[in-house]
Formats: sequence, C-alpha cells, structure tokens
Amino acid sequence: MAIWRIALKEILSSVRNRQTFLFMLALPIILMLILGAGLSNAFSSKHSVGEVRLLYQATFSENDMSAYWDSFTKAIGKEGVEVVPIRPGMDWRQEVSSGRYTAYATIDKEGIAFFGSSKNTVESGILQGMLVAFADRYALGTAAFQASPGVGTNILKHAAESKDFIQETTLAAVRKPGSIDYYAVSMTTMIALFSIISANYLFGAERARKTAIRLMAAPISKGEILVGKMIGNVFINTLCVLVVVLFSKFVYHAYWGNHFWLVLLALLTEVLLAVSLGLGIGFLLTKQEGSYMVVMIFLQCASFFGGAYFPIENTEGILTLLTNLSPLRWINTALLELIYMDNIAAVWKVIGLNLGIAAVFLVLTVISIRRREAF
Amino acid sequence: MSHVLEIRNLTKKFGDFIAVDNMTLNIGEGEIFGFLGANGAGKSTTINMIASLLRPTKGEIVLLGKNIVKDSKFAKMNTGIVPQELAIYEDMTAYENVSFFAGLYGLRGAMLRERTEEALAFVGLGDKHQSFPKNFSGGMKRRLNIACAIAHLPKLIIMDEPTVGIDPQSRNYILQSVRKLNEMGCTIIYTSHYMEEVEEICTRIAIVDHGKIIAEGTKEQLTSIITDTKEIWIGFRADGAISIESLQGIAGVTAVRQEENTLKIVSKSEVNNLNRIIQQLIKDQVEIRSVEEQAPNLESVFLTLTGRNLRD
Ligand SMILES: Nc1ncnc2c1ncn2[C@@H]1O[C@H](COP(=O)(O)OP(=O)(O)OP(=O)(O)O)[C@@H](O)[C@H]1O
Ligand SMILES: [Mg+2]
Repeated sequence: MAIWRIALKEILSSVRNRQTFLFMLALPIILMLILGAGLSNAFSSKHSVGEVRLLYQATFSENDMSAYWDSFTKAIGKEGVEVVPIRPGMDWRQEVSSGRYTAYATIDKEGIAFFGSSKNTVESGILQGMLVAFADRYALGTAAFQASPGVGTNILKHAAESKDFIQETTLAAVRKPGSIDYYAVSMTTMIALFSIISANYLFGAERARKTAIRLMAAPISKGEILVGKMIGNVFINTLCVLVVVLFSKFVYHAYWGNHFWLVLLALLTEVLLAVSLGLGIGFLLTKQEGSYMVVMIFLQCASFFGGAYFPIENTEGILTLLTNLSPLRWINTALLELIYMDNIAAVWKVIGLNLGIAAVFLVLTVISIRRREAF
Repeated sequence: MSHVLEIRNLTKKFGDFIAVDNMTLNIGEGEIFGFLGANGAGKSTTINMIASLLRPTKGEIVLLGKNIVKDSKFAKMNTGIVPQELAIYEDMTAYENVSFFAGLYGLRGAMLRERTEEALAFVGLGDKHQSFPKNFSGGMKRRLNIACAIAHLPKLIIMDEPTVGIDPQSRNYILQSVRKLNEMGCTIIYTSHYMEEVEEICTRIAIVDHGKIIAEGTKEQLTSIITDTKEIWIGFRADGAISIESLQGIAGVTAVRQEENTLKIVSKSEVNNLNRIIQQLIKDQVEIRSVEEQAPNLESVFLTLTGRNLRD
C-alpha cells in the first residue's frame, strides 16, 4: 500500500516537472530530426564503394564456374571493388580485422562463405549483397560471418543449411538504416539511459527537501520506500521512452523492424539498468553536486562513444575500449542487428547484461541503505 | 500520572563527540514538555532519537510502555514529528502533502480525506487545499509543516522549533494549535529558542546544555532554584553603544545583556550594587529612562545555569 502511494507520488511530481519533458521527450524528438536531416549523407551507400576490398580464395572443379567468377569480379571491379586472391602466408583474419580488407570470402563447390568486417559494416554489407546476388544466379550456397574476434554471427545460416543446393536469399537481410532510422534508435536508447539523472536524484531530492525525515519517521520500511520510488521512476521513464519510440515510428516513419515487442523489452531493461545505476551512484556519492557531475560526465561519454550522435566505426585501441564500455554501444548494436538482420540472440544477450548490471547496482544500493541511519 | 515517554540513560555520539550525554527523563500524559537549550545543546538530537530518526548509541526510549527500537512500527504509528526545518514537497499541493504523509500511516479512503481536511483546517489552511507551498508565506509553510505531522492523530507530537522565523500572527496561531492539540489529548514535546513561548505554553521544562539536562521542572520550580538572583532592567535612550564590559566588572553582576533600549542585568540579590551600576552608566554618558527590578524568570535561570544566552 505504502509502496503504491510512494510510486504515485513519484509519478505525480515527475509529471509536474517541466525538466522531465524537456529532457526526456522534446530533446530526443528534436535531435532525431536535426541529426537525421543534417547527417543523412553519411548514410548513403555511395560513400564507401570506392574503398571496398575483397580478399578471396577460390577452388573450382569446373572451368565454367571459374569463368562465372571472373566475370563477376570484373563486374564488381567496375563498381570500384578491388578483388584480390589470397596469397600463401596471408592470415585473412588479420587482414580483415585490421581493416585492410573489407571482407574475406571462400568460393568452392560447396558454396560461398563470407566473412565480413564488423568495423566496416556498411561496406561489408554491400559486398555481402553482391555475393548473395552472385550466388543466387550461380546456384551457390552462401554463408556470412562477422569477422570480429569473438563475435561470430551467422547471418544467412538458414541458407547454408538448406538441403536444396539452390538457396533463397533476400536482399532484405542487408537492408541498411537510413539516417532517421539510425537516430530513432540511438536517440531513444540515449534518453532511456538519461533515466540515470532522475534516478540519481530520487533520494537526493528527499534529503534536500528534508522530507526524508518524514519518510524515515513513518511506519514503513526503507525497502518499501526504495521499491516505491523505483517503480514510480521506472514507470515514468519507460513512458517517456515509449512516447519517443511511437513518435519516431508514426511521425518520422522510422523503421523499427519485425520484433517490436522485443525492442520495447530491451528498452525497458535499459531503463532498469539506468535507474539502478543512478540510484547506486546516488548512494555511493551522497554529495549531490559530485553525484550529478559524475552522472553527467558519464552520460556525455556514454552517448558520444555509444554512437548517439553519429555512428562510431573503425575504432582502434583505447577508443575501441571506450566505445565498448558504453552501454549505448551494446544496446544500439544489438537493436540494429535485431531490426536489420533479425538477430534475436544478440538482443537477449544484451537484455541479460542489462539486468545483470542493474542487479549489481541494486544490491550495492540496498547494502548502502541498510548501513546508514538516515537516507 | 502515567508516563507516555520514558528516556533512560540515553546517549548519542557522533564519532567522538557526545551530543546527548546519559539523559534520563520521564514525560507524563497530557504534558506540554519544553526543551530549552542554546544552539548545539542537543535538543534536535534527542528529539530525533525519540522519533526513530537516529539510533541511540546507548540507553533506551520507551513509548507507551514499549521500547521504540523493538516495537518500531508501534512507536512510529504513535508519534508525529514537526522537523526543525520545513519538510514539505513544493511541487505538491497542501492537500496532497498532508494526504501523502497521512497515507503512509495506513489511512485510506474516506478516513484519509477526512483526516487530511481536519488537519488542514486545524492549522488554518482549510481554504488552501489546492495551493502550492511555493506560493505560501513563511508562516503558512510552518503551519503546513505541522499539519503533515498530525493528520494520523499521534499520541505524542514532537515539535522542533516550529515557530522559527515567522510573523507574530502565525506564531500565535501555532501556539494556540499546540494548546488545542494538548486539550485533545496529545502529549507534546516542544523546543524553542523563544523563552516567552516556552514559559507561556509548557507545563514542564528541561534546560539542556552540552547534551545534559541541567534542570527540570515547572516554571515555578525552576525559578525557585535561583532565589539568590535578581534581574535589573534599565531603560535608556538609544544613541551610541553601551559598554557592557564595564558593567560586568561590578561586584555581584553575573550577566549583562542589551535588548534594544533595555539593559538586562542579572545580579546576586544579596549584593546591593544598583548605585554602582547607575554611576557607571552616568559615567558612560547613558541617558537613563527607567529602572526596575524583576523577579527571577526563566531567562535569568537559564543565564545563571548555563552562562549562555539562549539565542546567539
Ligand atoms: N549528524 C551529525 N554528525 C555530527 N555531529 C552532529 C550531527 N548532528 C548534530 N551534531 C552535533 O551535535 C550537537 C547537538 O546538535 P543538535 O542539533 O541536537 O543541537 P540543537 O540543540 O538542536 O541546536 P539548535 O538549537 O541549533 O537546533 C551539535 O554540536 C551538532 O554539531
Ligand atoms: Mg535543533
């Protein structure tokens, strides 16, 4: 009972707070529009064709096939793709992951196996599309893999498994996000992470207004207060995220793929992650200014390196580490793979990760609350 | 008289600092019990322990026969606290504030509405249900602060300086409400920096200094402690500063304070030093308007016992 009262009170004051709407609704909706329009060139497929390089190994039993391959490589060569056979002693993994080659493919009578770079996703997507078209025409099976160490996704697995030697592939598998599609995702995940701000201030606000005194004096447990406040905060933030998603979907016509409910579930777990993170930081750093600074710096870095403002690719060294530390990076990558490649497994992994980290910070919060006399 | 509250050997340390020092005290049903003490004496710390906001380092507190740590829920249900600082939500209406806090005490539905309305009417905010505290005067905020503590009809109401920084009208209103609550059967603990308030409404008073109760009793009992003291009030024309030091040097004088156009001099009653005092003032070229000798009052008791002024 007290839990619901506290949750309702939390929702009521959030609704009355203009900052909620400015930050959580107006900002992402406006940024989507500005960034989506301003950076649309970055998303046209033209930009990268000149830089595409394919490394391959071909073994043909029939001469026919070899002739087809030669005509294919000539054709794509005209499109600006450089096609290079692998030389003995070359390590294709190294070549692809260092970015010297966009992708590596093996062609034999079994079909085509394709290993694309996870760094140059646009370029490797284009190459993959070309190879799929080639395979289609010449009745070869294809399989595609992301070549980044550790991450291997079998994009066209069903094609390779097909009993029928002639497999069906659709070019939809390499559908690319337009700029508004990209920013619909990246801005939504960004403001979901912004939930940290309000969560961080959940108890700070009670301390500042001294109302923490009344909550502590009331015949309710600290646990009830925590849960009530969390429910209210998660609810209001999720509502904001939902409004932004629906706005982008129906007003901007952004593409959210075929697994809409799963997208929403992933976003909900991201809000949970953000809220527990905010609460945790709020209790570890009880000085409100310090807490706020840490949160804002974290958010700016996470947004930047997570690709909120523009997609980050081709990173090296420390930059790779930083991008990988941003929750937005995992979430954006997983959501884009879900939306454009129907990669459901990647999203479940991120959902698990979100919930796991949320649990850790919640436990820290609970320990800290139990230790202190007041909030 | 049965005891509503029993405090036994209560101690609170913050690190090495002892804020409340082995305090023992009983408060009976229907009392308005006053805590008098200078800044930092330990009033709020004591009160916060009674309201379960701080854990005692040592000792125990028994409310209505039950230990407040062991029966925490019971103690909290029967206590209402008016914190020293305003503790209200600025973004919620007066009604929502009272209703929210009362709701935490298990009130709901028609009962909750009724009690909320009663509490607001009680503090004279009956016509301000839908107003936001940010538009309230200081006095109105203080009254709302009280309403939030009484809607659940606690047996014990603790008021920590409820009249700080407000206009005389609001103050009278609050003092009246305290009396009314008391008549309705509430036991009240009241702290204040204002001697007159405590003298006016409290049935019993404890003088707190350095975490200890140094005197306790009714106003009459307390003033009888210092029968050997008198207080001399001297009215004068206010121009220029008065040298208090020179007066303090006079034999028998224990304390001197200036309040606007009046000098209040506490002195041993057996020493006849009025002539010396007046001579000194004339020497300092002070224009004397009036001289009167007061019977000892709480203020002189406080001054004598603690050597400190109640207010800084
Ligand atoms: N949380 C705390 N940590 C450390 N010291 C504290 C804490 N709370 C109070 N104190 C100290 O304990 C002493 C008593 O403080 P308390 O607030 O009880 O005084 P008070 O009598 O209410 O004074 P005032 O009239 O100024 O309200 C003060 O010296 C104060 O600095
Ligand atoms: Mg105090």
